[in-house]
Amino acid sequence: MPVPNLPAVSVIPPQPTDKPPLLPSWRAWYWLVLGALGAEIGLFVYLTRLFA
Amino acid sequence: MSGLDWLILGGTLLFIVGYGTWRTRRAGDSLDDYLLGGRTASWWAVGLSIMATQASAITFLSTPGQAYDDGMRFIQFYLGLPVAMVLIAVFAVPIYHRLQVFTAYEYLEGRFDRRTRTFAALLFLVQRGLSNGLSLYAPALVLSAILGWNIQLTVWLIGGLMIAYTVSGGTKAVAVTQQAQVAVIFTGMVIAGYLLVHYLPAEVSFTDAMRVAGHEGKLNLIDFHFDPSDRYNFWSGITGGLFLALSYFGTDQSQVQRYLAGRDITESRLGLLMNGLLKIPMQFGILLLGVLLFVFYQFNPAPLTFNRPVYLQVAHSEQYGPQLRGLERTHATLFKARARATGQLVAALKTDDIQAIATAKMHLQATQAANLGLRQRAQTLLKQAVPTAEAKDTDYIFLTFVLNYMPHGLVGLLVAVVLSAAMGSAAAGLNALSSTTVVDLYKPRRPGRSEGHYVAASRWAAVGWGVLGIGFATFAARLENLIQAVNILGSLFYGTILGIFVVAFFLKSVNGRTVFWAAVMAQIVVMGLFFTTDIGYLWFNIIGCALVVVGSLSNKLVGTSS
Repeated sequence: MPVPNLPAVSVIPPQPTDKPPLLPSWRAWYWLVLGALGAEIGLFVYLTRLFA
Repeated sequence: MSGLDWLILGGTLLFIVGYGTWRTRRAGDSLDDYLLGGRTASWWAVGLSIMATQASAITFLSTPGQAYDDGMRFIQFYLGLPVAMVLIAVFAVPIYHRLQVFTAYEYLEGRFDRRTRTFAALLFLVQRGLSNGLSLYAPALVLSAILGWNIQLTVWLIGGLMIAYTVSGGTKAVAVTQQAQVAVIFTGMVIAGYLLVHYLPAEVSFTDAMRVAGHEGKLNLIDFHFDPSDRYNFWSGITGGLFLALSYFGTDQSQVQRYLAGRDITESRLGLLMNGLLKIPMQFGILLLGVLLFVFYQFNPAPLTFNRPVYLQVAHSEQYGPQLRGLERTHATLFKARARATGQLVAALKTDDIQAIATAKMHLQATQAANLGLRQRAQTLLKQAVPTAEAKDTDYIFLTFVLNYMPHGLVGLLVAVVLSAAMGSAAAGLNALSSTTVVDLYKPRRPGRSEGHYVAASRWAAVGWGVLGIGFATFAARLENLIQAVNILGSLFYGTILGIFVVAFFLKSVNGRTVFWAAVMAQIVVMGLFFTTDIGYLWFNIIGCALVVVGSLSNKLVGTSS
């Protein structure tokens, strides 16, 4: 089976020149989502212990 | 259901379907228009479409019942989802957009070869084709329970309506109808939650309800105890759930197609991140409904089994009827003791008297244990009497509450919620199945035809998959718990598909032949493990993915050294 002579697509995300809306960068958006997850886990741990 | 309920149910569904068809009546007839809505969707449309695609009728039928039965620990299943949204936004979205692909699998031919693309597409078609059947079965369960309709007839009716607007308007019609469906879903669930709290006894506040639920082990949101055979704990959620979400949102065409329809990378990314922010709160709300239902039924008589059609069938039989009716009478007597014990616990909790709380809790636990025993005996009896019936009744709990306690009009709205969710999710699946069939299987073998030809082929493929899904739905009644059945089915195939994409994205030197055979072996091993071990199903996402990656690497090493 011949190996296609195509370069693999780079996994390094392109740095978008356009800024995302509302927040200064995409990185800020990603941290917002992950921070919200952390806060939710913290809340769930608190609720689990509070009502156990 | 009253006349008002029928009016609201019929009006809501007709409005949604009519609105979707009308809005997309002037859609173009190119493949780009039909399969991706012309790639013009804004971030909120992408986000709503992603959420509506994942939230099927099963979400609203099974999830509250699951919380009622097993507590809120199912929320841990979603902990990996936000992380997956970020990873997909960073890595997958730019690649898919840059290559302007119609399907995720199209990318695999450029990266590897056509055989690997076809294999991944076939794995998707098998699992999504079956899952779509299950998505249709759930609302049929609702209508058959309400109306006593033949379940197969109901499946055909709902499936037919969904096929009609998906075939006529393609992706745009699916997205537009999903926006209206999400509005109906959120409205209905908020009203149901409000009424559940409102229906609690006057002396029982929301906080009291939560404390009762907590003492009964229903607020078990997070469990850090590691057990590979335990389906839902923090570790399985954050790892297995992450891999499942990566597979589902990153490689399942029913989801990839939603964000490929975005206007540009920014809109697609924001749509995914919107899902990452809202999904867990949404599931928390739905599970909370189940916990409130549990507390509600501590003060209001619950049936011995919520699956009333099967109960009535057995209750009238000569052989099993007397025994079942006897259990029902004991259950009714036990309810009074349980309600009293729950009332005592609420009163004790208000005083903060540790001794009184311990005593009340002991009484309540004794009545709960007796109640559980009765329900299990009833389920065993029902299974003996009707071996083909679904003895587990958790999927009927929310529906039973809606039918028995909701005011006229709202019953119709809540049934519309379930049907809207079913059609929104199944339509997206159908849309993806037809896209994959035509773009990944048909077009490469029949190249050079006109755009109109491929659009027509997509429409016929949608009809075919719709009919096949309806056929599978008729077998769904034999499966245990609907939402688990769907997730188990997905987990069996998703790991392998994700493995192929991980190798494609990150292991540049692996070629198509290597990854293809690694994927075939991985799928065989996963199926073998599923049938011979009791490993929790979420782990199959990791196992399948890891096997493909390790198999690709070891094949490559062997090839290099020989």
